[in-house]
Amino acid sequence: MESRIKVLLSKLGLDVHNRGLITVAKELRDAGMEVVYIGNSFPREIVATAIQEDVDIVGVSSLGGAHLTLGSELMEAAKKEGLQEHMAFVIGGVFPPADAEKLRVVGFDKVFVPGASREDIISSIHQLVSVKTKRSV
Amino acid sequence: MAEKMGKKKTTKEILQTKRANRKRTPMYHPKALKMLDKEFEQWRRSRLREEDRKNWFVTPRTVLGSEIPREMLYTPLHLRDSDYMEDIGLSGQGPFTRGIHTNMYRGREFTMRQLTGFGGPEETNQRIKFMLAHGATGINVLFDLPTIQMYDSDDPFSKGQIGMSGVAVDSVEDMELLFKDIPLDKVSVSLVTHYPSNTAILFPMYLALAERRGIPWNKLQGSVQNDITLEEVVRSGPEYIPPKDCFRIQCDNIEFIRQNVPLWNFVTYNGYNLREFGTSGVTEMAVALANAIETTEEMLRRRHDVDWAAERIAFFWSPASDFFEEVARLRAARRLWYKIMKYKFHAKNSRSMWMRCHTQTSGVSLRREEPLNNIIRAAFHALASVLGGVQSLHVDSFDEAYSVPTEEAALLSLRTQQIIQTETGITEVVDPLGGSFYVEALTNDIESRILDEVDEIERMGGYVTAIEKGWLHKKITEYFCKERKSIENGEIKLVGYNIHPSPMELPPINVFQYPEGVEERQKMRLATLRKQRNGEQVNSALNALEDACENGKNVMHYTVQCAKVGCTEGELFKVFKKAFGLWKPPTLW
Repeated sequence: MESRIKVLLSKLGLDVHNRGLITVAKELRDAGMEVVYIGNSFPREIVATAIQEDVDIVGVSSLGGAHLTLGSELMEAAKKEGLQEHMAFVIGGVFPPADAEKLRVVGFDKVFVPGASREDIISSIHQLVSVKTKRSV
Repeated sequence: MAEKMGKKKTTKEILQTKRANRKRTPMYHPKALKMLDKEFEQWRRSRLREEDRKNWFVTPRTVLGSEIPREMLYTPLHLRDSDYMEDIGLSGQGPFTRGIHTNMYRGREFTMRQLTGFGGPEETNQRIKFMLAHGATGINVLFDLPTIQMYDSDDPFSKGQIGMSGVAVDSVEDMELLFKDIPLDKVSVSLVTHYPSNTAILFPMYLALAERRGIPWNKLQGSVQNDITLEEVVRSGPEYIPPKDCFRIQCDNIEFIRQNVPLWNFVTYNGYNLREFGTSGVTEMAVALANAIETTEEMLRRRHDVDWAAERIAFFWSPASDFFEEVARLRAARRLWYKIMKYKFHAKNSRSMWMRCHTQTSGVSLRREEPLNNIIRAAFHALASVLGGVQSLHVDSFDEAYSVPTEEAALLSLRTQQIIQTETGITEVVDPLGGSFYVEALTNDIESRILDEVDEIERMGGYVTAIEKGWLHKKITEYFCKERKSIENGEIKLVGYNIHPSPMELPPINVFQYPEGVEERQKMRLATLRKQRNGEQVNSALNALEDACENGKNVMHYTVQCAKVGCTEGELFKVFKKAFGLWKPPTLW
């Protein structure tokens, strides 16, 4: 049976630019997902909320330059809790091309750069969640 | 009179009654118009193809556009009701449609004010000097995320973000390094303190620095932003103070700066960041004007003279890609501000009626794909700004969809300005597009649309109420979600992205890398400061500030004292949060 995907979305740290993430939040909701949007938050809080809300996927956004430092911290916290096994982690925002690869290395399942389409984001999420949670979504 | 008799008139109602009383310098003789009517009708019937007749109106679809329909051809018939002196006029006098100065750029070049800020104060100081050495004529300092959001570099919230997207400033010590070797009494400095709260905190550090250097405050020239829209609507942050307190700080800042730093622009009503967040050029201006109106009313309520309170007001706009709309918008806002100050507030000094403005080319209009195309986009935005008569300009760099600009990219932006200024000849004639049937008709159309939205805000109960109710938050979200759809389905066309994409792999561009070690350096400097400063003085300055917040005294008198004795930014923000409490902004979606 198909189940509804539950997504946690957060601005990473103090970044002030939230237009992109709000757009994504609306689009995912319109695509039938359950969206938990927590605004600006920090790695440990994000992980704690992800556990508490029992989400399938966590998406964070950073346009302010802190993607590597806070992004790595988030993935470390997620690994410590063993979340990576069954929860997907994605990141989007403005960063230098070389950093996209670095973000994959620290453990993000998918990295979105400006210009990622609605379709691309939605289909990636479906795919990631079905792989991670081993259920059809 | 009407105000005393009952319901307060809205700005639109006041301006409408004035329109009826204007003197007549008609643009065209009625007989000529009559003949033209006939000619036009004949042309329409005989020359126009059926499909052109059917599609006479076309609405340009552009990023951040206002979706104002355009006709195929504009003629004097569009200006049949125009009155030359009332609507267009001469430069340097009301209605200022053609420019605030009589000789415009012949007399004074637009200030080339490129945004600068990354890393620690030492790095940004170097970049400022580099820009000045290459002919920049003003300084425009952008602060890093923790500084903008008012957390110290050693706050756990700031970890990993020190010196990102701007320069880290925690105390007067950092201000000192930021402006090392820069003569504060000679250069005009724009401090991009977006919010009323961080203006109240950071500008006093600049004042304390001037005092250290023995420079009297009345020699300082420059501007701060100080805009509630940025703090309560555009910003995304972990903690907010309530809108009414934020508005009060905005007004306190204005009052203090006006009294003590007479050449300083105490407020820059910032449409830019709002529009970039996601709104049309019409809403951008309506919101900034509604804020300016409400703030001016508050200044009158505080028993200040309107000319005293309005003389150094500045505005900040985002010119995007719909070229003629951008030119017309600047002209329309100049005329509308003139009318508001003259007819609603009865200002007497013409400087109070000047819509002086800075523009920054639109960042959201830039694309990551084929980044060199952004050079062209920004150049057109800049050209529209200059044709629209701005006072100062920043040109975005082509690499900003990747990181903050490299030195090379920042220089290219400055060069764009210098080429417009010196090689195109367009600065020799005042308002060169004035009198174009199209531009004048569009100016009229945009002015009335802006006024309609100002009216909507006033009828809602005013601007602070519009924020509290979430009206603006909702409007923005609807706008940018719709815009995203229009880009995805190709209604808005972007070259190299959704039209004519390149089949080739293009060579990568150089991307700026942040300097290392900034976080450690900032933390060490803070540790030294906290050890060396006089703890008693710090505590008593912070306590006095808290008392001022709670008892309605002007906060900036007290934040200046805090800056002088070495309080840090985070310490002051804590006082604001304690005194005012926290506010939860409306959900955006």
